[in-house]
This record gives sequence, structure tokens and C-alpha cells, in this order.
Amino acid sequence: MTVTARQALWLELMPFYIHEAWLLDERRFKEWLDLFTDDVLYFMPRRKNVLRREAHREVTPLGDLSLIEDDRRYLEMRVARLDTGMAWGEDPPSRTRHLIGNLVAEPLSKGEVKAKTAFLVYRSHLETDHQLLAGSREDVLRRVNGAWKISKRTILLDANVLLDKNLSIFL
Amino acid sequence: MGATQKYSIIDPATGKIDRRIFSDQAIYDQEMEKIFGRAWLMIGHESLVPEVNDFFHTYMGEDPVILSRDGQGRLHALLNMCRHRGNRVVRCDDGNATRFMCTYHGWSYGNDGKLEHVPGTSEAYYDALDKPSLGLVQARVETYAGIVFATWAEDAPSLEAFLGDARWYLDTVFNRRDGGMQALGPMKWLEPVNWKTMVDNCSDNYHVPTTHLSSARVQTRYLGRPPLSHKDQFESPNKHVFVNGHSITFREAPDNTPRYVHGISKDTFPLFLAYHEATLPEVERRLGAFRARHVQLGNHSIFPNGVLGFRLALPRGPLQTEFWHFVLLEKGAPEALKRAIRIGSQANNGAAGLFEQDDVDNWRQVTAASKSRLGRRISQDLSMGLGHAGPHPEYPGVVSERYISENNQRLFYQRWEEFMNAESWAEIPIAPITARFEGTATIRG
Repeated sequence: MTVTARQALWLELMPFYIHEAWLLDERRFKEWLDLFTDDVLYFMPRRKNVLRREAHREVTPLGDLSLIEDDRRYLEMRVARLDTGMAWGEDPPSRTRHLIGNLVAEPLSKGEVKAKTAFLVYRSHLETDHQLLAGSREDVLRRVNGAWKISKRTILLDANVLLDKNLSIFL
Repeated sequence: MGATQKYSIIDPATGKIDRRIFSDQAIYDQEMEKIFGRAWLMIGHESLVPEVNDFFHTYMGEDPVILSRDGQGRLHALLNMCRHRGNRVVRCDDGNATRFMCTYHGWSYGNDGKLEHVPGTSEAYYDALDKPSLGLVQARVETYAGIVFATWAEDAPSLEAFLGDARWYLDTVFNRRDGGMQALGPMKWLEPVNWKTMVDNCSDNYHVPTTHLSSARVQTRYLGRPPLSHKDQFESPNKHVFVNGHSITFREAPDNTPRYVHGISKDTFPLFLAYHEATLPEVERRLGAFRARHVQLGNHSIFPNGVLGFRLALPRGPLQTEFWHFVLLEKGAPEALKRAIRIGSQANNGAAGLFEQDDVDNWRQVTAASKSRLGRRISQDLSMGLGHAGPHPEYPGVVSERYISENNQRLFYQRWEEFMNAESWAEIPIAPITARFEGTATIRG
């Protein structure tokens, strides 16, 4: 059976995303950081309740108030603070389970690829705090020294009012 | 109806607080009547409804309210509830519309609240429906520097009186420039906490070097933020002052450096300094030289539930709060500066905020501890700095001797009692305005 270029890309990236999910659920956050380029933009806009005919206004654009808009430095700070032993919101840490699926990947120009995945992330914290978060990630990836890395991630959380006490886990 | 129940939940001599105020449903229900039913409540900002016919979905307590700008440009705060059966007439977060139609039976209201159309007025209602009396219920609306407040109480004093001398301090952030401010947001999330735990936390700078140390440390390392320690806080010359129900902290700024906000780092500081210097003449004109050069508002809260400038602690029962976080940006600021402030605000104090993440479990366990059989009987101790506050020759309000104090929290709960125990607004004390408001800025902006 021959595999098309698109199928080959899918076969490469699905294990990449499964690997990312395991890194997060096993709390291997430094290795998770290595999956991102130095010029990464890690972005989670807000989602508004608007009429269907105004769908262009549903997701806030870059430049509006957003939930997360991190460069590499900010992502590193998020991970670094966990090692201080004083990140009380995550010490004791959350238990997470990232289920990633619905991968669609397509090549862009100049060796970059675009990949979108859907997620269900279950988060359990302390005794009874729990939340199921759902949404999608739209990533741009490129190879750095032969390995895929994410240069842009846009997370669309399926929420208007976030139902969790905070967003202290990585998506 | 019997006489108003009298609450005595704080002992001013010892600072002991009855923690049932954080968990008791009956007390919460009374708060909705006596506090959220009467006070001026922050509901939005003019910049969220800039054009005629714009509307913005917001809340007064648990009541959904539409902030609208009608065809003549006037602001309205309309209870988002059809007068027929009670369906909401607006389900979107915001938009632009001349009318709001109820999706149930088609009753349509103008964005000024007037009931304009009812299907079957003659055919079904026999022309007996009293339409003029069935408009959307309206709250009184007033604004301060573009921030929109509303109250259900016809007998509430003016917003100007309600803010009182607190405005003397608030102007140093909210009323600096001729062009006013732009609100962005909100982001919204649900916290399992009593609304008061978030509000009284605004004067609580005591918690910062403990709760937020991990974030402060990494930001010192990565962003060059000034280090944070207990020593810095205890020795800080910053001030802690309670004014007419509102909690204020501020810095006396003798060195003419810009006000410290999240978003200032070693990279961005030159931007902030340049902007501060360039706008100082305008700010001096508007606020007078003393406030422009010497007074920089810090953490603060506006009674009852306005937190840190423009965030709303919306009560959702005694054990839950829906937190709305906006950022306010001076319209005339350079784009790079606006971005730095916005990023600093969301990255530190948003739902995923590096600082904010560590607050919620403190507040929720304070809230939850007020439920259990034994816990609810053991008072909180808010005794820090008792007896060490009073009037100040230069600054309006009750000024604590030290920056780190629980005086504002004690006085917040005394203010809570004043509202809860009053039969009407006539019984709620309002401190007279004594501050000298130098400069050209007014309450309108």
C-alpha cells in the first residue's frame, strides 16, 4: 500500500501529539517546552457569545484581551515557577489526562506545516476539584535539527465563562 | 415584614470576624437585598458601548443587565428580563441593535427599554395590555471617568457622594488623560469562593510575598522585576487608607518614576518612563501638581465588589463567584505601551495568570472552612494594626501607619454591617467630601 504525502505527514505528527500528551500528563514540563521553537507564540483568545451572522466576532483577535498570549520567555516562566516549590496553585499538582485526536495536517510553504487537533483534557486537583476542558489547537510546526517543533499554537477553548477555578495546567 | 435583622459580625476592638458571612445562604440572600440591591455597582465602561445602539451584557449582582447606548447616545442599564414571562431578551455578550426581541413570544423592546411591539395586542390581548408600564426595568446610571455604575436604589446618593474622597485617589489612574480610557475584555471564570474573599484581598498586601513568591521570583529572574520579600513589604512607605467604604493603597512617589503595573519589566521600563514624562504636563493640568507627581494608586477595591480597578466579583451564591477581568488602557498611549500593560494584566491576573493562579485556593479554603460545623464557629482574626490608623494631614480617609495592615479589611466589614443593618439609604453613613480636587478633571472625565 502506498502512502500519500498527506498521510505520511499524519503518520509523523500523530505520534508527536501523543508524545506531547504523555509529557504533560507525566508532568515532564521541561521536555514539553522543548517541543516549541524559540520564537513561539502560544495563544488562547476569548470566545464570545455572538449571533451566527456575526460569527467573525466570536473569537477575539490578537491584540484584544486574551486568556494566554505567551512568548517563549513566558512559557519558560510558567514552567520555572513550578520548580520553586512555592507554586501553591499547582503544589500539590493537578492530575491531568490529555486525550488528543481529530488530527488534520497539511503542508504550508517553506517546509512549515499546519496541524489542528481536538482535545479533551480532564483535570483533577486536590480532593474533589475537577473539570473537563475541551477545545482545539491549531499549530504551525517546522523542523528544527530534524525534529518537529511548534512555532505557533492557537488554542480555542470550548468555553465562554471558564468553569474551572483557574487555568493552571497546559493545553 | 419584621424589622431589619441586625448583624454584628466584626468586633472592632479585637478584629474578630464571624466567618459565617462567607458561607451562610441566609446572609448571602440579605447581601443581595441590602448591598447589591442598594449600592452603586460597577457594570461596565463607556468604551464598551461607544456607538449609538451598542449594547453590552453585564450583571448587577446576580441580575443580568443590558448596558445600552440608545439612539440619542444616552446610557441605560436595563434588567435583561422580558416583562411577560421573564426570558432574557439579550443572549449575546455584546452587539449593536435598535431593538431587543424576546425569543419566546416576540415582545420587542427599544434599546431604551420601552416596550414597542407585542404580537396580538388586539387579537389576543383585547388592547388591554398596559404597555407603558411593561418596559424593561431600569436602574439609575451614572459614570465616573467613563466607568459606568448603576443602582436599583432610587434613594441612593449621587455616585459622586458614594465614591467620596476615594475619587481623589482613583483619579490618579482612571482620570489622567483628556482622551479617556478603552476597556478590553472581559475574560470570565467561576471561582469556588465567597465574593468578599476576593474583594477584601485587595488591601491585603500581606499575602503577596507568600502567595505569589514563586511568580515574583521567576519574574525577577526573567523580566528584571524588583524582588519581593516580606522585608520590602513591611518597610514599604506605601500607604493603606480607607475612604467612605472603599479600600485604597497608594505610593507617595517622590521620585517621579511611573506607577508600577504588571507589564513593567527591564525591557519595557523605558517606554513607561517616556510616556510618564511626556504626559505629566497634561496630568498636572487635570489633577493638580500634587496628585500628578506624588500619588500613585496601588491595589484597591470599590465597595462592594469592584476589584483592582476594573474587575468584577459577581456573586453566584455564598460559595461561588464569577470573576470578570477587564483591562483599561489610556486611549492616547502608544501601541507598544498598551500592549505591555495588556500582556502584563492578562499574564499575571487573568484566569491563567501567573499571580492569579495561586490566589484561588487560599480564598476557597477560607470560604469552605466557614461551612463545617466546628470551623464556622471559630472566628477569623483580622487584628493586624488595630489602633494604628487615623486621619492624616495630607491624605483623605483613615490612613494606617503602616502599608501592611488589616485596617481596610476591618473597615470593609464594618461598612458591610452599615449596609446590612440599614432600613434604608437614610441610615447608611456617607463621609462628606473633604479632599481638594485640584485640576480640571471632573467626575465625567
